[in-house]
Amino acid sequence: MQNGQHFIEIENVSKSFRLPGGGVVNAVKDVTNYISRGEVLVIIGPSGSGKSTLLRTINGLESYDEGQIVIDGVDLGHAHTDMNLLRAQVGMVFQHFNLFLHKTALMNVVMPQTVVLKRSRSEAERTARELLERVGIADRADNYPSQLSGGQQQRVAIARALAMNPKVMLFDEATSALDPETVGGVLELMAELASEGMTMVVVTHEMGFARRVAHRMIFMDAGEIVEEGAPEHFFTNPRNERTQRFLREIL
Amino acid sequence: MLAMYQNVFPFLLQGLWQTFVISMLAIFFGSLVGAFVGLGRARGNRWTVRGFGAYVHMLRGTPFLVQIYIVYFVLPTTNLAVFQLTSFQAAVIALSLYTSTYVAEIVSAAIEAVPRGQNEAAQAHGFNGFQTLWYVVLPQSFKMMMPPMGGVYVLVIKNTAVLSVIGVTELVREANVSIQRFPSFILSVFLLVALMYFCYCYPVLRLTRWAEKKWGGLHLNV
Repeated sequence: MQNGQHFIEIENVSKSFRLPGGGVVNAVKDVTNYISRGEVLVIIGPSGSGKSTLLRTINGLESYDEGQIVIDGVDLGHAHTDMNLLRAQVGMVFQHFNLFLHKTALMNVVMPQTVVLKRSRSEAERTARELLERVGIADRADNYPSQLSGGQQQRVAIARALAMNPKVMLFDEATSALDPETVGGVLELMAELASEGMTMVVVTHEMGFARRVAHRMIFMDAGEIVEEGAPEHFFTNPRNERTQRFLREIL
Repeated sequence: MLAMYQNVFPFLLQGLWQTFVISMLAIFFGSLVGAFVGLGRARGNRWTVRGFGAYVHMLRGTPFLVQIYIVYFVLPTTNLAVFQLTSFQAAVIALSLYTSTYVAEIVSAAIEAVPRGQNEAAQAHGFNGFQTLWYVVLPQSFKMMMPPMGGVYVLVIKNTAVLSVIGVTELVREANVSIQRFPSFILSVFLLVALMYFCYCYPVLRLTRWAEKKWGGLHLNV
């Protein structure tokens, strides 16, 4: 799929949390994976399996204790790596949208461009309107997040991330907090992005989406990658017993 | 009656002016220091969090009367030149410190009340720490700060009354002097004094209400 160098390299990454009570949770245990440019990787697994934590380490929202993550040649663990610059190039879509509550939909897409990329206001606004058009909510540009439905908010959030011209898009259960009737539209939008060649890492419970859009799937449990393969493999003959049980429960 | 007002009223007005000047200075400096301390507590490193925490708790855990005594009577006994303060200077300093602790608590609470997701979203789009604070957190916490800030400012204004103990010629001090000259006017003089405080404090409360409404377009009702 690529020539030797992987676009995203995750090597032997571990991450543990200390609990307030004194215990320790090994959220991610010695995970190694390589993601190619243009690939759509879907990560599935039960809640608490470490899939969101792993995703969040990819843009440095979560630090990792051991291992190495390299994105397009940039080592996240290196002391001289500009993490703000890196995050600007790694788009993130959250489960709870996290739109800036004090800004309109339009300004949510404009602000990161002007603040981080130092684009002019007019250029940022032009880009923002194009992207809002593309995600299908140009007519709600002047609404505040509190005036939008979950699905509409998530579309704005996707537009906001795309405005940064990201090299890769991360989706952290992007449809889990949505009303059922708005899930389909957001998934459709994500599938469109995938078909345009965007590199995507998607944590989701939407198996239909995974089956249709993923190039490759990972099943995580208890912080480890338990099984990995093409969607066809997962949905026809998953090998691991834990994978089988999870898929049985969710499908 | 008319004689009373002719003799007393100008002095009370002078006292009110002094009260106004001192409280405004204390509100100004106290808010500056308080914003800094509050930021340090909410967003600083381990040392600013602890250090500023100790500062806030020490000042909030002691009566203002004791604080003003310390600044005006105790510090000068060190014989250090910086601590040889006039009563006016001592009043402004003590009241500013007092104000700063309340402002600091409000500022840090309001910053911490902004949902974590807001910080994460900013961070995820490449905002640095300052940009996150300036463009995302502070605009949202500002509205939350308004109503309690009005309460603190009114508290500060009313606490200027305590400053009469170190001889600052503010409103209560002027009233006491007037009563010594005209003891029979005690009721009318203090009614007048109370009215003057009210006329100063009430608009301050209205102003913060208005400010809160003006910035009510933030749509934080999520």
